Amino acid sequence: MEALQVPLQLLYSGIALGMIYAVIAFGYQLTFQTSDTLNFGQGDALMLGAMVGLTLVGLGLNYWLMLPIVILFGMLQGGLVEWLGVRPALKIKSEFGWIMSTIALGIIFKNVAENLWGRDDLKFPSPLPESPLSLLGAKVLPMEILVVFGAIAMMLAVELFNRKTIYGKAVVATFNDRDAAGLMGINTGLVITFSYALSSASAALAGVLIAPLTLTGATMGAVLGLKAFAVAIIGGLTSGLGIIVGGIMLGAAEMFTGYYVSSGYKDVPGLLLLLLVLALKPSGLFGKTAIKKV
Amino acid sequence: MPFRLNRFALYAAVAAASVGLSVAAHAAEPIKIGVAGPFTGGSSSMGVSMRDGVRLAIDEINKAGGVLGRPLQAIERDDEAKNERGVQIAQELINKEKVSAAVGYINTGVALAAQRFFQDARIPVMNNVATGSVITHQFDDQPENYIFRNSAHDSIQAPMIVEEAITRRGFKKVAILADSTNYGQLGRADLEKALALKGIKPVAIEKFNIKDVDMTAQLLKAKEAGAEAVLTYGIGPELAQIANGMTKLGWKVPMVGSWTLSMANYIDNAGPGGEGARMPQTFIQEPTTPKRQSFIINYLKTFNPKNARIDSPVSAAQGYDSIYLLAAAIRQAGSTDGPKIRAALEDLKTPVDGVVTTYTRPFTAKDHEAITANIPVIGEVKGQRVVYAYAQDLQKASEVRVKSAVAELPKK
Repeated sequence: MEALQVPLQLLYSGIALGMIYAVIAFGYQLTFQTSDTLNFGQGDALMLGAMVGLTLVGLGLNYWLMLPIVILFGMLQGGLVEWLGVRPALKIKSEFGWIMSTIALGIIFKNVAENLWGRDDLKFPSPLPESPLSLLGAKVLPMEILVVFGAIAMMLAVELFNRKTIYGKAVVATFNDRDAAGLMGINTGLVITFSYALSSASAALAGVLIAPLTLTGATMGAVLGLKAFAVAIIGGLTSGLGIIVGGIMLGAAEMFTGYYVSSGYKDVPGLLLLLLVLALKPSGLFGKTAIKKV
Repeated sequence: MPFRLNRFALYAAVAAASVGLSVAAHAAEPIKIGVAGPFTGGSSSMGVSMRDGVRLAIDEINKAGGVLGRPLQAIERDDEAKNERGVQIAQELINKEKVSAAVGYINTGVALAAQRFFQDARIPVMNNVATGSVITHQFDDQPENYIFRNSAHDSIQAPMIVEEAITRRGFKKVAILADSTNYGQLGRADLEKALALKGIKPVAIEKFNIKDVDMTAQLLKAKEAGAEAVLTYGIGPELAQIANGMTKLGWKVPMVGSWTLSMANYIDNAGPGGEGARMPQTFIQEPTTPKRQSFIINYLKTFNPKNARIDSPVSAAQGYDSIYLLAAAIRQAGSTDGPKIRAALEDLKTPVDGVVTTYTRPFTAKDHEAITANIPVIGEVKGQRVVYAYAQDLQKASEVRVKSAVAELPKK
């Protein structure tokens, strides 16, 4: 039992960290599925969600009551990004314009946040007790369990929505063939806006989920957004399962390398994994290979 | 008639205005002092406290009639802890604002990148917070050195940390956790050196990055290696993540580290898990002398920080003192000429009664460090603020610790 304690602890922490990456990566996936575009300001959407959440909690609002407001805020913010940054690029069929415009919007959001909330890192009060639980001899924070299950629940909810509702079917149809879906009477523009709203809402929710574990600050999105992007590539931009597996792989790789190799090299294996996946299976471990007719 | 009257009035007004203007310009042309530090970002608790200390000192000096009959004026710039911003600001302060001297620099990297411009322009810089040992020695190869300092450099701090952990508290096994920046890694090297002098090899030496959100791997390694204490070199937010990580692992050993463990964003973000951390401090927010008492009262009254706690008392006190040191030098030089101020600083004839210490001949041509190893005390985080760790230090705190006669020169 004793011997297993260390790897188990690393695994728990790796899973918790990986799920933090996965929830953010999930947002990349949502927009990619409908419009072949990504919101590179995903990390900043996460930060804005956490900051708005922190402000609301600071005003005395209960953590759980704050969640729907943050989700609503995220939807508005995502819609704005689509409307300002992505729609013009799609309209002129610009292949890559959305990359710069989503990055630009991300930078603007970060600067606005710095002016509104300052650049210091702040503590997000934890809604759950901060004392660790013991699971098979290794420690887990209640908040880490909430992140893992909150993330899975969020992904399941979106999956169910896509499969069971007529709106979801419109999303899937748009993903499969945007032009055909348009001919069938689906307002694909609206679907894409909606997917951006949903992706930023998921990022905002992820922000308030993880903020009690990380610290909250205007720059919190930068590193997390980048790691999550690696997760989206490793897992595949088209697979929900891939995101979870990719997230846990990256999180665990960081933990185990940090412990067994050197904490100075803990980011290396994750990035090696990324290169390996790109070389051997560019669509990601679980991604479907896209066939592009020319 | 109305025409002539108007004309006369106009002449009179112009004459009066021009006389008034020139009198005002001569009598009150301020002496500009550049103030650079991070007023936003992870180091901002240090930067803002330093700036506020500077403002307080300038305000007091101006109320007492200024220096050489002229008021002091702070030209404040936020360097965001970024080297390139520091470089821009240095050039702006020198070429556009034409400052007579500069105080500041919180981050060693920014200081090293920016102060070379002051050196070239022969304008003195009083480093009041940054601790990298090399700062005052950057221009040792040049005949004149314009870089001074009134903070406790790392070659003082690392041995103090080791003294506290190994000698006073008797830990045999310690782990070092340092961030991957210049600050952290230079500090780690200083710590290893100081430990080696006691014949101790750390059981684990771990690294972390700025913005890392999980310290499990590093802490687990320290724990499994049997560390009885964790020695740290990093800044507030990540230090808080170390404390939080310990709480999570249910493993609590003392943290002893560089003076940054007193930063407000460490204390606030670590919460109860951050209690007990110990670090060297040149100033602790306690009214142990009349000078310190009036400084603390004025600071709290002017800036009203939350919970009546100065965000970074050390930075505030050193910022305050740096202005008084400069003012004394300008007064003695009778000029705002860079070389004359430098010469006066290297040969200050009257002692400067500061908050940290009384500066009696603080600098010489060879020694630009105002703080020696005997001045800092060990502080401890207790009740969400920094207090004296040892009762005997508090009892003797009213005796001002002054620079030791035999100046210990820092190693390069």
